[in-house]
Amino acid sequence: MTKTKSNSAVEFLKQNLVLCGIVVLIIVTAIAEPKFVGAANLNNILRQLGPLPFAALGMTFVIIGGFIDLSIVGIISLVGVVTIGLIDPLGQVGALLAGLVLGAFLGWLNGFVLTACGAMTQAEVLFITYGMSSVYTALALIYTKSETLRIARSSKPYTIFTTLGSGNIGIIPIALIVFLLFLILMHLFHTKTIWGRAIALMGGNKDAAYLVGFNVKATMRLAYAINGLMSALASVALLSRVTTATATSGAGYETNAILCVVVGGTTLKGGKGSVLRTMLGVVLITLLGNCMNMLNLSTYMQTVMRGTVLVIAIWLDNRKEL
Amino acid sequence: MEKTTDYILEVKDICKYFPGVKALDHVSLSIPQGVVYGIVGENGAGKSTLMKILSGVYEKDEGTVIFNGETIEHTTPIQALRRGLSIIYQEFNLVNTMTVGENIFLGRFSENHGMRGTHKKAKELLDSIGSSISTTSLVGDLSASEMQMVEIAKALSFDSKLIIMDEPSSSLTSEELKKLGIIINQLRDKGVSVIYISHKLDEIFEYCNIVTIMRDGCVIDTKPVEELTRSDMIAKMVGRTIENEYPPRAHFVGEPLLEVRNLNTNKLHDINFTLHKGEILGLVGLVGAGRTEIIRALYGADKVKGHQVILEGKTVKIPTPKQAKQAGMALVPEDRKREGLILPFSVESNITMASLEDLTHMGIVDASKEADIGKRQIESLAIKTPTPETKVVTLSGGNQQKCIVGRWMERNPKILILDEPTRGIDVGAKYEIYVLMNKIVEAGGAIIMISSELPEVLNMSNRVLVICDGRITGEFNPEEATATEIMDKAIG
Repeated sequence: MTKTKSNSAVEFLKQNLVLCGIVVLIIVTAIAEPKFVGAANLNNILRQLGPLPFAALGMTFVIIGGFIDLSIVGIISLVGVVTIGLIDPLGQVGALLAGLVLGAFLGWLNGFVLTACGAMTQAEVLFITYGMSSVYTALALIYTKSETLRIARSSKPYTIFTTLGSGNIGIIPIALIVFLLFLILMHLFHTKTIWGRAIALMGGNKDAAYLVGFNVKATMRLAYAINGLMSALASVALLSRVTTATATSGAGYETNAILCVVVGGTTLKGGKGSVLRTMLGVVLITLLGNCMNMLNLSTYMQTVMRGTVLVIAIWLDNRKEL
Repeated sequence: MEKTTDYILEVKDICKYFPGVKALDHVSLSIPQGVVYGIVGENGAGKSTLMKILSGVYEKDEGTVIFNGETIEHTTPIQALRRGLSIIYQEFNLVNTMTVGENIFLGRFSENHGMRGTHKKAKELLDSIGSSISTTSLVGDLSASEMQMVEIAKALSFDSKLIIMDEPSSSLTSEELKKLGIIINQLRDKGVSVIYISHKLDEIFEYCNIVTIMRDGCVIDTKPVEELTRSDMIAKMVGRTIENEYPPRAHFVGEPLLEVRNLNTNKLHDINFTLHKGEILGLVGLVGAGRTEIIRALYGADKVKGHQVILEGKTVKIPTPKQAKQAGMALVPEDRKREGLILPFSVESNITMASLEDLTHMGIVDASKEADIGKRQIESLAIKTPTPETKVVTLSGGNQQKCIVGRWMERNPKILILDEPTRGIDVGAKYEIYVLMNKIVEAGGAIIMISSELPEVLNMSNRVLVICDGRITGEFNPEEATATEIMDKAIG
């Protein structure tokens, strides 16, 4: 009897490890630094959530599909500078839409290049998307001539961006509300639609999915296009918050997005994963960053911590199979 | 000391528990020196679990293991090897990009004082089993039977006293199988014991001295092979008497349904054939003759151009499996785990994946209809699974195969292509698959069946095409043809 009881406790821990991690983290930090649970810091945390969740959301689909995408650095940078640059010629709504379309296109282009090359292994995909990222970043550099673009320099109105970047409803940032909307949409897309299913089946076994009549190449392009669109949203969230964009503003987002996805429990082997769990990963990683700031840990030490969390997450994922 | 009382391995009352299952229930075996010891049983009978305990992959929960007079409490695969117990798995454990000699002594080059010594020793070992493979050729370039020779040489290099062979014949042609038989006899003469695990009872009767029959984790019987008949053995394996291994042949052949003309690739030459409604067409040939290539080209799985496919009187183009599915074809591929199943997914998802489009309205999959399909196929094919949500990877081979067949049954295919439909599945499940095939042709569907088991083809099909080196070399009526005639054409 006691054996089954402790088993079910272990089982619960295994299933909800990230949630437990978040709770422990909050308790420990709150004891060590009471300011952590103060209103100012909570507001700060909510605002910090900005771009990363969007990037992680898109990355979830690529990873569930059995691939990976390092190019979001380039997409976030390029979309950011182009969006700001288009406020004057197209107006703010036009610029926003153009930015999103550009992001989706760049993602689709990744998928197109990959399928055209016949790149079907994670290693090939890793290197090609890394190359695509360099291309996108270089285009952003050419476009900006290495200068920082500022929203405030536009001659047309740019209220959408400033509202998105610093507007609140009650204490909840508008960016967060927009994000939650997309989270629900993407969750439904993953669990309810045939396209979401096709991505997961492809991640589970490409050959089997192909032989039962799925168009694996089109599915792959779709997964990358979704990631491109989500990266564009991340880019917009970022430029709205900081009101500037440079050719390198996307740096670091790829590793953090992958980190959130994996910590959330989506396996790098593809097939199995959950959009909602990725969000737990985002919360954990963001909180971890905030806690370490509150506790005055050096940024180098923070990088070490993030790496450690990633290694532990993959280790746990592999232990689950046993 | 009498040789027969000298046991190399004694296993007493071994038990092994997995969550919710008793995989082994007080299993006891005694394996004398210098015999070939057969172990038979359906999938899930516990054979593999027992072998994994012996080789140190799993820990036993209860019982004792005495190997070569020494009681073994804990072991790891490498310790087991060093003690002289090696196991040759169905999927070989070789490094394709390294040479034969390197593979045999992998990680032990220094024992032979460098590479020259390694290759010399490797050659001696290969010579001792009468194999002429060059020790410097790459393992990736070898045929399946040559790889098996390398595995056996590797086992001998550890001075093995007991070699376990798990389904050694599944990837061998009948010629290669004969060679394996000779080697097994040589091993026995040298005093090495062999545990031979196989679903193919003919081999058990041919090679083994003693047979243990397992079922549901228990030893049912152990007897010298002469004291058993084939039907005894099957009855003990399945726990009931099976009157026949095959159902009566179906006779529903009607008018032409599919015509394939001028199929040519690098490997295939002038393939022309016709398939009729209600027909079971058997494709026979050695492994690598081009059987799988023919059906993959027909199904649109490989890019092939220039051939003509006429379905129900109309020329159709089938460039991808998607079009094949729309044209009413279905494929149960050869390699269930690599090409058929999505292993980490549920039984239900694996069954419904071919029908998802029909359940989708405006992009949304109808979950309740999906659950209905899952339930319907699980029921009608009697798939043994705790729930539809159970991961398919946990099912036995036969039940996994039924999931793939069920996936297509839901769509009532006009043409069902079965590539080695009964490979690695047990007698009971085989019979159920055969019955299912008959049901399909009775309903007016047609079946193309590839099989390396000649008796299966001879008993099930209405017509047999023999493939050799990418050409159709013969056509037979299986009710009149003999196995010898067919093999003669297959060898070419």
